[in-house]
Amino acid sequence: MQSFLSVLELSWGLLLRGLGLTIAISAAAVLAGAAVGTLIGPVLTYGGRIASFPFRVFVDVVRGTPVLVLILASYYMPAGFGIGLGPIEAGVLALSVFCASHVGETLRGALIAIPPTQLDAGRSIGLTFPKMLFFVLLPQALRQIAPNFVNTAVEIVKASSLLSAIGVGELLLTTQEIVGRTFMTMEFYALAGALYLAVNLTIGAGGWWVERRFRAQ
Amino acid sequence: MTPILTIEGLTKSFGSNRILRGVDFEVFPSDVVAIIGASGSGKTTLLRCIDLLEEFEAGEIRLDGEELGYRTAPGGRRVRLPGRQLARQRAKIAMVFQSYNLFPHLTALGNVMIGLTRVQHRPKAEARAIAETWLDRVGLAERRNHHPSALSGGQQQRVAIARALAMEPRLLLLDEVTSALDPELVQEVLLTIRRLAEAGTTMLIVTHEMRFARQVSTRTVFMDQGAIVEQGPPEAIFGAPKTRRLAEFLTNVSH
Ligand SMILES: Nc1ncnc2c1ncn2[C@@H]1O[C@H](COP(=O)(O)OP(=O)(O)O)[C@@H](O)[C@H]1O
Ligand SMILES: [Mg+2]
Repeated sequence: MQSFLSVLELSWGLLLRGLGLTIAISAAAVLAGAAVGTLIGPVLTYGGRIASFPFRVFVDVVRGTPVLVLILASYYMPAGFGIGLGPIEAGVLALSVFCASHVGETLRGALIAIPPTQLDAGRSIGLTFPKMLFFVLLPQALRQIAPNFVNTAVEIVKASSLLSAIGVGELLLTTQEIVGRTFMTMEFYALAGALYLAVNLTIGAGGWWVERRFRAQ
Repeated sequence: MTPILTIEGLTKSFGSNRILRGVDFEVFPSDVVAIIGASGSGKTTLLRCIDLLEEFEAGEIRLDGEELGYRTAPGGRRVRLPGRQLARQRAKIAMVFQSYNLFPHLTALGNVMIGLTRVQHRPKAEARAIAETWLDRVGLAERRNHHPSALSGGQQQRVAIARALAMEPRLLLLDEVTSALDPELVQEVLLTIRRLAEAGTTMLIVTHEMRFARQVSTRTVFMDQGAIVEQGPPEAIFGAPKTRRLAEFLTNVSH
């Protein structure tokens, strides 16, 4: 019988690589999703019926779909259009789309909560609408959604474990492979759980720190 | 003397509700015009049309001879100007609102600077110096690094006045700027406005403070049901009203 520690000694490199991939994929999805969501939110809020319609549909469809379905769709559907996406690319796409729709929708909520009297004040000074968005509306709305955004980032880290279903060698799949070879089920799933928890606690602490700095300003 | 602002036949409706019924009006340099009238008579709407915050269906507003808000397309059709042009014209007119409308994420200084840096594209150091000068003039130099939430209503309103004037507008519009204030804070704001008037700032002041209107204005305008009913020197308007509607209004507000 091998001991847990001796197995860990042999497999920690694999686990770290899995963890690294989990972090990299999540970070890419969070960044891309935040960027796209920051574009979607204002269009949903100020775009009028026609311009906002396709984005409204996108956000509602994505938010109404299980993440696993988004992942499978991102992996298998582009192939139907002759676009070959590897599992990692498909995974980043699915999680980015998930993140973008959440950021877009919460940002819309924060933007409509800004009293229209502020728009009057900005217009009166001579700000064009893009400047108003950039210097008046978004700074307030983004600050407002920061706590929610931290939650979304945590959700994405957790959802990245679903990428094991399309063969992405992230933390969960790596763990499954080690368990398959060693049958140390409890030990390695507990370790994986602890690693996910550590990542998410780090995100939470980062969010807390950023929020505190905002409030100090 | 040539007028700064000329308004001819200004007509504005909300839906089927006609709010302004052909307002004609001129403002000359250093005029301090007080606009009085019952609630709902269209005073705010008039100021908002001048600052291009509302569209209007007929009439013309000119600032230094330039038509505001619209151009006449070939064929005589009236077309609203695109956003950039509206923004350029709005920058020459400043408005102070009843509810201050400061930007809550910026400090007092930031509120005054934003127009200087983002509209007038001044370097930051220069914008800062101008903003500090104006905050000093409204008596808030000490509070420049406070956010609006840390300022009293009177202080917020004075920041709003500094923000408006730092842009060096041709015309300052004040819409019941003391109405939202606690009584003990009204005087500090009125005093600020009085100083501006004495310094020759051209202003349109909508106010319910009749005594203030009488003291500070060079001309008083009485509006009723979307039209100017009477205008003239404050002594004439308050002392010898010619129309029954003005006489009734003055009787009502003095009670
Ligand atoms: N955005 C709006 N939509 C519809 N009606 C409005 C709007 N703003 C003002 N009104 C109406 O226009 C009339 C004049 O309002 P206002 O200009 O605010 O008067 P005042 O400032 O003299 O009290 C009022 O009857 C008011 O209900
Ligand atoms: Mg009003």
